[in-house]
Amino acid sequence: MKGVFLGVSLSFLGMLQAQSGCRQLIPACREAHMEDYNWDGRYWKAELYGGETTEIYYTFFRGLRYRLIPCGRSSAQKALHLRIYNANRTLLLDTRQQGERSYWDLELSSTQLLVLELYYPMGEGCAALLIGHKNGEYIEASAH
Amino acid sequence: MTALLVWIGGCSPSDSQVSQHTYAVDTTSYAIPWEQIEVYMKAAPSPVQVAMWLRQEKVPFYGENLHDPTLAGRYSGLQGAANLGVYLTDMAYAHATAQYQKAYEYLSSVNRLASLYGVEDILSAERIKRLDRLQDQPDSVQKLFTQYYGEIQERLTETGQQAMLRHMILGGWSESLHIVLTLLEKDPKSQPLAEVIFLQKGLLPLLMKLYSVDTASSAASREIVAHLAAIQGELEQVAIQEVGSTDATVQKGVIHMRFRQRVVLSPVQVQSLRRRLLPLRQFIVRV
Repeated sequence: MKGVFLGVSLSFLGMLQAQSGCRQLIPACREAHMEDYNWDGRYWKAELYGGETTEIYYTFFRGLRYRLIPCGRSSAQKALHLRIYNANRTLLLDTRQQGERSYWDLELSSTQLLVLELYYPMGEGCAALLIGHKNGEYIEASAH
Repeated sequence: MTALLVWIGGCSPSDSQVSQHTYAVDTTSYAIPWEQIEVYMKAAPSPVQVAMWLRQEKVPFYGENLHDPTLAGRYSGLQGAANLGVYLTDMAYAHATAQYQKAYEYLSSVNRLASLYGVEDILSAERIKRLDRLQDQPDSVQKLFTQYYGEIQERLTETGQQAMLRHMILGGWSESLHIVLTLLEKDPKSQPLAEVIFLQKGLLPLLMKLYSVDTASSAASREIVAHLAAIQGELEQVAIQEVGSTDATVQKGVIHMRFRQRVVLSPVQVQSLRRRLLPLRQFIVRV
């Protein structure tokens, strides 16, 4: 019984440590990458194990430029990636196809609710996302 | 948690002024799984983000339909939190359209309500003075608004006041929609405004999830879900015309997403949406 209690306690402590480590990532990422973007104080964090993903719903406005900062590194030293879907769950972009970056800037030709999915291609660990915004440029739907 | 909510309601400095019609602070002993619905709380845009977009769109100011800032002292509890969201949105809209005197009046209302939830230091006299000094620098003010709004959310979460945060988000969302409908009534052909209406089709189900978790225990949540469902029913009539395919290109770390679509929204539909939103807004702002 004692052993079980100890095991549960240790696992709980481990979770707490992981959560606090996860939280500590956020100020560091903000400091390093937010630059002149406005951060509205919201962030998303999750512990991802065994191929798990976590979803974020966010409203993006036309005419604003957004900075997406995926924050974290997996146990296999892989960068955190994003899949971006529209509200109907059609995949629009997977950042893994674009290489590794500390952040991505995003502009849209129209205002949209998008679903962002955070995932590690390999390994597990804490995953967090910060989103900043600032005035952007209007991009035309027809431009290429 | 329940005790805390009751305490917050009971400590309102304006209790004697609160109308009998104000919806009561929940006193039922049930737990809401906040960690499960947190993701939906963050889906709706913050008043600051809405204001930044309105400023970018250079929309005019129409003050006649905004909430009355002098009523702030008559709210408390959950209704006070919802009206905190309403006033924050009105303040952000007034500021975005360079109506600084009006924005200041709303800031006073925000400050008054903030004191009910222990977040008044975030909008302290010193900080308001700082905002005042920056009046001719809208970008700096926007940055400070962003910071203060973030701090309010953080404080409400850390002090176990997620029920208040949920209502603040609802109030802010409904006021944003109210403002966009007003702007559309004045400028029915605006495609950017119509797009904001269309995106509500995706947002509404998420807002409903926020309140569906406790409809069995909360009369207020039941009523809110019913109002949201009525709005969603109306939104089903709003169509989109695809004029090409959507694509995403990436250049030097900048993602450009192009949606080749056009929202079809008639003035009659705008009026119908207004009629559906009105009962929810009344539910929030009534005294």
